[in-house]
Amino acid sequence: MKCALDIEVREVEELYINIDPIQAGGRLTPAAMKSAIAYGDGYSVCDHCLSPFRLDYIRNPPIAQFHADLAAWLRMDEVRVVPGARRGFQAVASTYVEKGDPVILTSLAHYTEFMAIEEAGGVAREIPKDENNHITPDATAEKIEAVIREFKRTPPLLFIDHVDYQYGNVHDVRAIARVAHQYDIPVLLNGAYSVGIMPVDGKALEVDFVVGSGHKSMASPAPSGLVAATAEHAERVFRTTTAKGDVTGRTFGLKEVEMMGCTLMGVTVIGMMASFPHVRERVQRWDREVAHSQTVVDALLSIEGTRVLSDHPRQHTLTRIDTRNSLDKVARTHKKRGYFLSRDLKTRGIVGVIPGSTKVWKFNTYGLTEKQIRHVADSFVEIAREYGLNVS
Amino acid sequence: MSKRAVEAIFQALFVLSDLRSLMRETAPQHELDDEQKRRAASYIEEAKDQIGIIEAELMR
Repeated sequence: MKCALDIEVREVEELYINIDPIQAGGRLTPAAMKSAIAYGDGYSVCDHCLSPFRLDYIRNPPIAQFHADLAAWLRMDEVRVVPGARRGFQAVASTYVEKGDPVILTSLAHYTEFMAIEEAGGVAREIPKDENNHITPDATAEKIEAVIREFKRTPPLLFIDHVDYQYGNVHDVRAIARVAHQYDIPVLLNGAYSVGIMPVDGKALEVDFVVGSGHKSMASPAPSGLVAATAEHAERVFRTTTAKGDVTGRTFGLKEVEMMGCTLMGVTVIGMMASFPHVRERVQRWDREVAHSQTVVDALLSIEGTRVLSDHPRQHTLTRIDTRNSLDKVARTHKKRGYFLSRDLKTRGIVGVIPGSTKVWKFNTYGLTEKQIRHVADSFVEIAREYGLNVS
Repeated sequence: MSKRAVEAIFQALFVLSDLRSLMRETAPQHELDDEQKRRAASYIEEAKDQIGIIEAELMR
């Protein structure tokens, strides 16, 4: 079935349980689906854009109120919506980083953090992870000291991932931020795997910026996200343009330089807004989501030889698992090699594990129902039994 | 202008979106429990009603 021309209808979410590690938190709510139908046209939110002609001032639809609600929800002072978390990193790095500046991130950082630093002319320096795949305050302090020795100046910015994309581990952000602040280094929280799926309180975490991803964790269309700042930093990162045309003398009002004026002018911001009431409510059920994750991990661990590489017991729904000594043993002799697992899962109505993966792989159980969680857990065990693996 | 027809089109699409969400919630077997069956029946009725309005408005 096609949507148009050669574009197949995407019916993955309707036909299967999808445990893809990056897609789980971005599935649309019914409200967002409906809003996407009504606001699919390009500049669809601009019908009532009045002076001063900026997205976050639009009252109908209530985009201005949405910005205020987002800030209050995150306990930050100012928020802007942006086309993905990466554009939030970019806005902050572009504001704070000068050519040649060292910028601190972690050995578990997402590549877009590196790229935001690179684009700003900075030099990325990584805080090493410890043996438990955590970023610690002590390692942070050591790295800051080393960087100051190397560059003879203090880094202008530090990125810390609330939850890293590699292990789905939750890091001690507040303690790390306290260390950074001892050196007067502003801290940017990468909340791509936390904002919208688990409670995030910018004030409690003592960070200067919170960046979130709409399409990864806020049940929103891509590309969408947010960047939030404390009052101390908002004026700088959300500074307005001072440009003036030398021939025309034109000026550009309150357009913000780092936002390139307006950001999400249609279905993306409307999708975020439509899902927001649900998102605000669902973060309160985080414990249930973590318990679901643990149920699937327990099932996998019941297969002899399986190890969980993420924190255990689980603290998050994104999990990295090592099945080299269990499911991969099947792959070594199976005629489909490592593809047997994704095929056997698909036969049972489950997708999202990278085809061919049987060694070290990731999955995310976020948003599944109790019945779906049971089905996923039982399916892994069933597959293991079918191939003669020991299950405890 | 038929505002009534336009609104019925949106309403039909919206209620089909609710049905779509129900398909997601019950994937992959789509075995509905009693409450889900009640919801599905209500969505289907609503969609029929809206189609009726569209037909009445545009085919008169």
